[in-house]
Amino acid sequence: MVKIIYKESDGTEHPTDLEPGVSVMQGALNNGVPSILGECGGQLACGTCLVYVDPAWRDKTGEPEEMEEATLELHADNPHEGKRLSCQIKASDELDGLVVHLPDSQY
Amino acid sequence: MPLITEMNLPVLPVENPDFQRDPMPYVDAARQRHPWLARFEQGYIVHGYQAVKDLAFMDDKLVMGLGHVVDFYQVRGTPWARFMLEMLQSHTGPEHARIRASVAQAFTPRRANRVRPAMREVIDGLLDEWSGRDGFDFAEFASYFPIAVLCGVLGVPTTGIPRIRNAIETHMASLTLDHKYYPGFLEAFDLLWDYVDELVRDREASGERDEDALLDALIAARDAGKLSDLELRDMVLVLLIAGYDTSKNMLTLTMYRLLEHPEYWQRCAEDIDFCAKVIEEMLRHSSIATVFRSVVEDFDYQGHRFPRGAMVAFSMPLANRDPAAFPDPMSFDPFRESETRHLAFGRGEHICLGQFLARAQLEEGLHLITRRISNPVLAGDIAWRPFLGAWGLSTLPIRFDVAA
Ligand code: HEM
Ligand code: FES
Repeated sequence: MVKIIYKESDGTEHPTDLEPGVSVMQGALNNGVPSILGECGGQLACGTCLVYVDPAWRDKTGEPEEMEEATLELHADNPHEGKRLSCQIKASDELDGLVVHLPDSQY
Repeated sequence: MPLITEMNLPVLPVENPDFQRDPMPYVDAARQRHPWLARFEQGYIVHGYQAVKDLAFMDDKLVMGLGHVVDFYQVRGTPWARFMLEMLQSHTGPEHARIRASVAQAFTPRRANRVRPAMREVIDGLLDEWSGRDGFDFAEFASYFPIAVLCGVLGVPTTGIPRIRNAIETHMASLTLDHKYYPGFLEAFDLLWDYVDELVRDREASGERDEDALLDALIAARDAGKLSDLELRDMVLVLLIAGYDTSKNMLTLTMYRLLEHPEYWQRCAEDIDFCAKVIEEMLRHSSIATVFRSVVEDFDYQGHRFPRGAMVAFSMPLANRDPAAFPDPMSFDPFRESETRHLAFGRGEHICLGQFLARAQLEEGLHLITRRISNPVLAGDIAWRPFLGAWGLSTLPIRFDVAA
């Protein structure tokens, strides 16, 4: 199991254990973590699975690929750093302990 | 567990002209008997917000129900039936993902934003041509806009539009499950097919390549073995159809709604960000799509058993007016603040491919129309389209002043 910690902006933490290979978006939906919507089911077609990767983890999660970048443009006005679409981050041993911050709104 | 086939469910008369004009009295009454499920002549119709949302994610149990449409007309074996059963929407899982991936890059929010200047050019050109008259049928005017934008995205000339407009309308009418459209839609399909085939051949023969032209990207995908020749043509046709009837209906309904809200008209002319709010609330208040699914494997939902083979329709217009999700649903309020988002573009695997393009063109269209014409008023009788498939207005006569 891979531990992923979702943090709300008010500090509330949702620690969850995901099977390797499950996306951070799906993990949130399966475990009742608020604010991640995942309207397209994870195919980079909606942009409603936005998270901010904690600075300490950005090296490990890496940079978004081109399609994700083009979809993230939906959130161009959002000034947060570390924006990623969480359907594109898959739980793996490397990411055990990953901290992602939840946006107040996906729209 | 009660089978939905054995439940005493209320019936929604979707084919009744009164229902097409205003479904809400019927739906309000049906809701008293069952909060989210009703019957219609050919199957079941889900009208509760939460139920549509939950079921729309169950892509493994409910697949696009176009087989039901084909069987309704008993036309298996025709080219139209082949298209209906093999195009993008009819696939699921990895096959669906492969076909959708061939076009997905052309429909990202970034690409939609890049097309905005071209959208403005199209709508400006149309307004130059039409606003000289002091009135027109807005539904007809709107029908030239999204398809012209889509031709731009594909990189094909807009000169073919008059040839295919009626054929697309006729093809779409088949979704309303009414025998009067048979065999017209089969002939319309042949015309559309010839048109698409010609587009592809002409482009191949010209040897031109443009990295922004989606048709060229599709041809390249075919050449790389990612799509078959037939899939390439099916995809072009899917885009022309999906991009035609939807945005134009939304734009027409937006005009209709704003006739009742002159206070918003001027604001739309001044502020494109406000246009975005109006469009988003329009997508909530007056959605158009009722889509079909076929149950491929028995499943249970909320104490109901859905049996294999049942035809289920998800009605976005009705779900978006569910008072359990949107308080005071019939009031049109662009300032509605809620994280509950409408279902206008669907959910799950088949979520609208064109949603960012559609939003961008509706915003740009509304902004320019409100800038260039003023004081619009209704100038005759309106007419509603059939409810199933793509609902909306078929006629919206207006008069207006030309803004200085
Ligand atoms: C306001 C305008 C539009 C609305 C309300 C709308 C609505 C929808 C809905 C509800 C679906 C889901 C169908 C289902 O689940 O069965 C859908 C799918 C689709 N839409 Fe749109 N649409 C609009 C504009 C467009 C545009 C401009 C295009 C551009 C080509 C487009 C292309 C598609 C395609 C290709 C699909 C099928 C996706 C798939 O099966 O993977 N739509 N649309
Ligand atoms: S779930 Fe739709 S983009 Fe991530």
